[in-house]
Amino acid sequence: VRILLLGLDNAGKTTLLKQLASEDISHITPTQGFNIKSVQSQGFKLNVWDIGGQRKIRPYWRNYFENTDILIYVIDSADRKRFEETGQELAELLDEEKLSGVPVLIFANKQDLLTAAPASEIAEGLNLHTIRDRVWQIQSCSALSGEGVQVRLWRRLAVPAGHL
Amino acid sequence: MGCFFSKRRKAAQGGQRQQQQAAGADGEPASGEEKAPRYSWDQRAKIDPKDYTFSGLKDETVGRLPGKVAGQQFVIQDCENCSIYIFDHSATITIDDCVNCQIFLGPIKGSVFFRDCKDCKCIVACQQFRTRDCRKLEVFLCCATQPIIESSTGMKFGCFQYYYPELALQFKDAGLSIFNNTWSNIHDFTPVSGENNWGLLPENAVVQDYVPLPSSEELKAVRISTDAMRSIIPITQGRRQKSSEESCLAVFFAGDYTTANARKLIDEMTGKGFQLVQTKEVPMKAEDAQRVFRQSASEFIPLLEKGPVVALEFNGDGAVEACQSTVNDVFNGTKVFVSESKASASQDVDNFYNFAEMQMGM
Repeated sequence: VRILLLGLDNAGKTTLLKQLASEDISHITPTQGFNIKSVQSQGFKLNVWDIGGQRKIRPYWRNYFENTDILIYVIDSADRKRFEETGQELAELLDEEKLSGVPVLIFANKQDLLTAAPASEIAEGLNLHTIRDRVWQIQSCSALSGEGVQVRLWRRLAVPAGHL
Repeated sequence: MGCFFSKRRKAAQGGQRQQQQAAGADGEPASGEEKAPRYSWDQRAKIDPKDYTFSGLKDETVGRLPGKVAGQQFVIQDCENCSIYIFDHSATITIDDCVNCQIFLGPIKGSVFFRDCKDCKCIVACQQFRTRDCRKLEVFLCCATQPIIESSTGMKFGCFQYYYPELALQFKDAGLSIFNNTWSNIHDFTPVSGENNWGLLPENAVVQDYVPLPSSEELKAVRISTDAMRSIIPITQGRRQKSSEESCLAVFFAGDYTTANARKLIDEMTGKGFQLVQTKEVPMKAEDAQRVFRQSASEFIPLLEKGPVVALEFNGDGAVEACQSTVNDVFNGTKVFVSESKASASQDVDNFYNFAEMQMGM
């Protein structure tokens, strides 16, 4: 299963990737290009592509769209200043031809932080309920602690991709 | 699809019903809605985010004393002409739209992110350092990973230099090693050909000229020293021009006195006029030891399992001989690796960094 991990810079994508791979998360550096990992999860072999999210390099995201089975979009729930920006980027992704119909799993990350907005508030702000052209799900998590990261949803999300 | 996070908001009523989700066999609803708390953050004590925010301040001196942030997130925004001191460890800090501020940020477990700031002078310790759309920030930095800047200009960096009694423990609480500081090699996401968006602060920069000691009665209680010799973070040259072609690698192994010993050697060597280039605290395996210690590897391999090693790189003419004699005099009983000769030393240093970078990469 090919997974594309996107989101603004500092969202916690690489930490999430390392958690999925059960690796040490104590020394993570800002991603300059991208990271790839192969992860076994609940009987699925996931190839996860974690792409750097700085504004300057978001134009390169499209180089990784092709053949994506699941899009994971990570949001820093505690960075309220950038909610609009992340909403905008997500909207543009969901409009992309090459990602049409691809299931999207939104991680409302950094729930461990004081100012974190709950997933329900984020879902409302992003108008997720208006998504009708694909399977989607929002999940609260703390990539740092690992809570909410192991998703019992690969099966459901992967159904349209015909992996069952 | 509708405006995301637009001003026009729907009342959140029974959000579950309004959200369209794929019906799944396990029927899990979107998380965060009315259900028994099952995450640690659902059960945490209610703290007021306002106590962890400085917002819209002008011409003020504000701060938090040791123990008053205790690992929580902190938010700083829209401040002008302020002196801001966070004398505690935190989870992460964002600094938005601040102008002409002097800012001290105690050890940050995760990232520090400066956005749309101008003319600020800072002292910061963190796991990750990030900026976007900033102009003229001057930062005395301790950063565990490579600092990054984006769309920022006039950025200047120096080595973190600060002491107060509670600071050492705050570094531990934040999970930051005082020996892992890559402050001088910045990655610029928006380089401009023919120009430099960043540079280094002068080596003789006086910390208090940038971030003065706090003037408020409350914050004066913190017993600060900005003396280089007392700094919790050893002052390193990093990428500054080396004065000599001779380097020397010294490696201490995990034990009760490792930090004290490493600091002692640093004091002795710098006292003799040698420069501390770089330090690293990193776990080492037997294979790594073979590559770095070569002939002496067997002597040191049994010590590796006790914990990470602390490596010091010194520079200066005669560094190897001075280091060997100092280690013999001062650390008689302790096992320490020191470069054999000037010739082998530069290889030692390269071998060590190659392995350390692989270890700490990503």
